[in-house]
Amino acid sequence: MRWALGAAVALALGVAVVIVNAPPPDGDAFSGAAIPIADVFAILEAENDTLRALWTKEIVGKGKERGLAFDKHWREPGVEAGPLPALFLRETAESLRRNPLPLYLFLGSDFPISDANKFTGLQETYFMRIKATGDPQFFIDEDVGMQTAMFSDIAVAEACVTCHNADPDTPKTDWRLGDIMGATTWSYPSAEVSAQEALALVGALRQSARHAYEEYLAKAATFANPPAIGDDWPSYGYALPTADEFMREAELRASPATLHSLLEHKLVND
Amino acid sequence: MLNTLLRQRRKIGICVGIALGVILVAALIYPKRSPLVAKGPMNTGHETLGCEQCHIPVNATPAQQVSANIYRLLRLRRNSIGFGSKLVESAECIDCHDRPDDRHPISRFLEPHFAEARRHIKVYECAACHAEHQGKRVTLPSIGYCVHCHQDTELHDDPIFPTHAALVQNEDWNTCLQCHDFHGNHIRDTPIRLQDGISESAIWQYFTGEIDSPYSDEKRHHALESRDYAADTQDDTQDTEGNSQ
Repeated sequence: MRWALGAAVALALGVAVVIVNAPPPDGDAFSGAAIPIADVFAILEAENDTLRALWTKEIVGKGKERGLAFDKHWREPGVEAGPLPALFLRETAESLRRNPLPLYLFLGSDFPISDANKFTGLQETYFMRIKATGDPQFFIDEDVGMQTAMFSDIAVAEACVTCHNADPDTPKTDWRLGDIMGATTWSYPSAEVSAQEALALVGALRQSARHAYEEYLAKAATFANPPAIGDDWPSYGYALPTADEFMREAELRASPATLHSLLEHKLVND
Repeated sequence: MLNTLLRQRRKIGICVGIALGVILVAALIYPKRSPLVAKGPMNTGHETLGCEQCHIPVNATPAQQVSANIYRLLRLRRNSIGFGSKLVESAECIDCHDRPDDRHPISRFLEPHFAEARRHIKVYECAACHAEHQGKRVTLPSIGYCVHCHQDTELHDDPIFPTHAALVQNEDWNTCLQCHDFHGNHIRDTPIRLQDGISESAIWQYFTGEIDSPYSDEKRHHALESRDYAADTQDDTQDTEGNSQ
């Protein structure tokens, strides 16, 4: 009897030792977690602002001058156009959802062209605060356990105002430059992330923007008169930069601010 | 005498145990075992899939699996990894059913302003509408689920008859799918008169898998017929190796 009890205890101890010493089967997300997600959201928002500015000014703005078209129905067969700025963000967000990291990006407004993008509930409450203060808002969406941030989306170019005011489905026709037209909403499940995870999130956003741009290039290649795709930008002619060139420029513009934020918060020293 | 009886019983017990063990092991390793161990019949379109197409084997030792799940229980780890096979989540569905222009991608419903819809149906998970092992295509109890998000629908210069606003006012929520394909994957002109739409009974038959799509035979995107999980397990191996170093 004692022999059996001793063997059972030894076996249990052995199993416990094996289990405790087992290496984790995949990445331990909590390892080195130290960066508040709010800081990472701010970095991502700055990256996204850079990408959108590049798209809006260098591709849409200059492209229109060279004969390229941009339309909200750009995906429809037979429509020879690319996505408008808000839809480029939507494409990026759609691509982001396919990334294994559970990072989500949405764009909405209190006067959206599509009703599906109208803020209600928590988003409406926090958007009103953004409109009053201009400051980003952070909260937890309890039922899905998501850390959430909202940042103002300001009319920075004349095209934002004219397009939205002229759209037949717009519920508001008196937008002006500088107005807070809506907000981007970011969500992620962790309150804190490691430096490695923060960099992976930035990488996921960049990869998603690249994919969105590649989707446009694929559509442009089907035009009856396709633009030349290479090193040149629309500012030089009826041309579009390759995805590598587009992202090289985006990274060149975004990386200093991202690196500055990481160093300023000592995010890479954990 | 008593000892002989006890020995005999022990022998019988051991034999029965071995026989049951052999049957159990045989059932688990028998190549066409799926119908024997599955919770129910595969959903429409999934009939030819093997278990491991969705129940992807965990690429970890039993000790690692126990360890990871204990850590998860203690909230020292974010994700559970399951035992034997990974947990089947929407990501596994999207591996085969990913569509760049899905009208209702599930991640869309993680946005805070869909909280009310989420309270009614967990619309951010594929399985909320397509619960597997039911032998159906769509497993919702109603076809009027559009009510949860589209109560304010009103179109400028609405070209349809009756108008969207009238349908909403009359709470005719079963009519939405008569004209609109939820995921927008079927190539079809949307009718402008409700009478030209699909009948409710046809939609139900489509949901239950009795008929093929009444929307159209033509699809924008076709699902992958077989999921290659080798890439996943390879990734896991790399992760494991990376963490082991």
